[in-house]
Amino acid sequence: MAWEYYLVVMLVYLGTDLLAVWGLNLEFGVSGVANLAYIVVVAAGAYTFAICTLGPSSGNGGFQTYIGGFTLPFPLALLAGALAGAVVGTLIGVTGLKRLRQDYQAVAMLVVSLMVATVVSADTGFLNGSAGLALIPNPFADLDPEVARWAYVAVVAFCCLIGFLVLRRFTTGPIGRTLRAMRDDDTAASAAGKNVIGLRLVVQAVGGAFGGLSGALLAGFIGGWSPSAWVYIETLAFLSCVIVGGMGSDRGVSLGTLIIAVLLLQGVQFLPQISSSPGLSEDFGWIILGASTIIFIWFRPQGVLPERRPRYLGKSSSHSPG
Amino acid sequence: MSGDAGTVILDVDRLEKHYGGVHAVDGVSFTVERGSITGLIGPNGAGKSTALAVIGGYVSPTAGRIHFDGADITGYPMHARARVGLVRTFQMARVFGNLTTIENLLVAVPRQRGESAAGILAGKWFWRGEERQLVERARALLDTFGMSTKADDPARTLSGGQKRAVEIMRALMMKPKLLLLDEPMAGLSPSLSRQLEDMLIRLAGDGLSLLLVEHELDTVDRLCGKVVVMAQGRVLSEGRMAELRLSREVQDAYVIG
Repeated sequence: MAWEYYLVVMLVYLGTDLLAVWGLNLEFGVSGVANLAYIVVVAAGAYTFAICTLGPSSGNGGFQTYIGGFTLPFPLALLAGALAGAVVGTLIGVTGLKRLRQDYQAVAMLVVSLMVATVVSADTGFLNGSAGLALIPNPFADLDPEVARWAYVAVVAFCCLIGFLVLRRFTTGPIGRTLRAMRDDDTAASAAGKNVIGLRLVVQAVGGAFGGLSGALLAGFIGGWSPSAWVYIETLAFLSCVIVGGMGSDRGVSLGTLIIAVLLLQGVQFLPQISSSPGLSEDFGWIILGASTIIFIWFRPQGVLPERRPRYLGKSSSHSPG
Repeated sequence: MSGDAGTVILDVDRLEKHYGGVHAVDGVSFTVERGSITGLIGPNGAGKSTALAVIGGYVSPTAGRIHFDGADITGYPMHARARVGLVRTFQMARVFGNLTTIENLLVAVPRQRGESAAGILAGKWFWRGEERQLVERARALLDTFGMSTKADDPARTLSGGQKRAVEIMRALMMKPKLLLLDEPMAGLSPSLSRQLEDMLIRLAGDGLSLLLVEHELDTVDRLCGKVVVMAQGRVLSEGRMAELRLSREVQDAYVIG
């Protein structure tokens, strides 16, 4: 049934978007690294998943060329995608090794994003250039199509569950506090003995793994991946989820993902199409996204569900924090 | 502890910091003794704050060596200096604005179990005990500074004086051996700054060494045993404040700038 298929698509999108937004929130919302190249780690995960499952590039009549080419089992290919995201995320993080002001660093990362996209599009032998990779095998191809779809949703849900548990290890407790201190004032954080550069690289690796896993799951679901899927503006969509939802707040950005990435960007597909201007409704979605992001930055920078801090109760209480 | 009294904790040796042709610090040498309060004074532009920034690791020196607690720390980044017990505060109090007051104190402790890879992997049971101790220490400090009622307020909502207090409490949470204070009294009300003076004297009595840059000479007079006078990037004179006040050289430096 059409609506059921649509529901599956939305759930997979929600799940993969959540993973990516959680990763970006860990980097930007919690740790203050404005990674405008975030979509590159998503792409790294997706491409890695593709070349880990597609087999040798001579397959399928050799109509697409790419490096590597393996037939790993599905879970291993997902792990490889997450790992690729972590590696690429760390490499992007190297641009932040120099003590750059946050806005300069953001620009440097944006440039990285544009450069990588240009190189990958131009080099057809690397990842099949601008045509991208197609025929990425579905892991549940042997099952009945309807069962296969829901099986994929289950895999995405499972990854989100694991992802959330991992995420909370970094955003709560002493390490979460340390990362937020680094976000608020990195100089004062190093004066307090925090290795800011080391922490940033760790955060970039972990956030990169989230993005990589997101990309791998998406590529496996769609069955294809090309440069048009990861233009730099996609990073801004994730960023918008973080800002509207509530920077630094795990539940806030999750709600932001539902509102921006799913309800808004998918919802505009239901607007009536105007035959003289095809694609107008999609553009409309981006306009609303940009406008709402600016409005939130101006009038409610803390987002819909702001970051909450743990309380340590009053002075007279000698009990541990609640 | 008493065996250490009178020994040198910080040895600054021919320190230089050039910005292009400007020699902000131009061959400065002095020492700080354990458990002492040493003052660094001088007219505007004498290079005091730059010297302090170099010692704290915020900027790297052009030349010279810094020995702290027996080790050459010249190449240490700021966070590594903090970890060996050389802790600085800033001229403009810097707090972690979105954290609460008590969190500002808790976060300052280096090498917490909950920050380590093991702590992240193992989870709460691994660091809960240490965290509880830290919370108690932080509460006690907040009590001492009369700021317990602000414990759960975001630090950005505090007043200027309270922010400075937070910064000093944060430094104390780190159990420093030497505290570098850059104009700690700036922006404090007279009564608050007297309170802070008393606090610093108590801390020095407990064995903490302090090096402070200060403009207010009366404060320096009350606090500091030894005073180092800087002018135009160099050490002009060194001694007790009472003697220095009589020195022609020092008077000239202050009048002429």
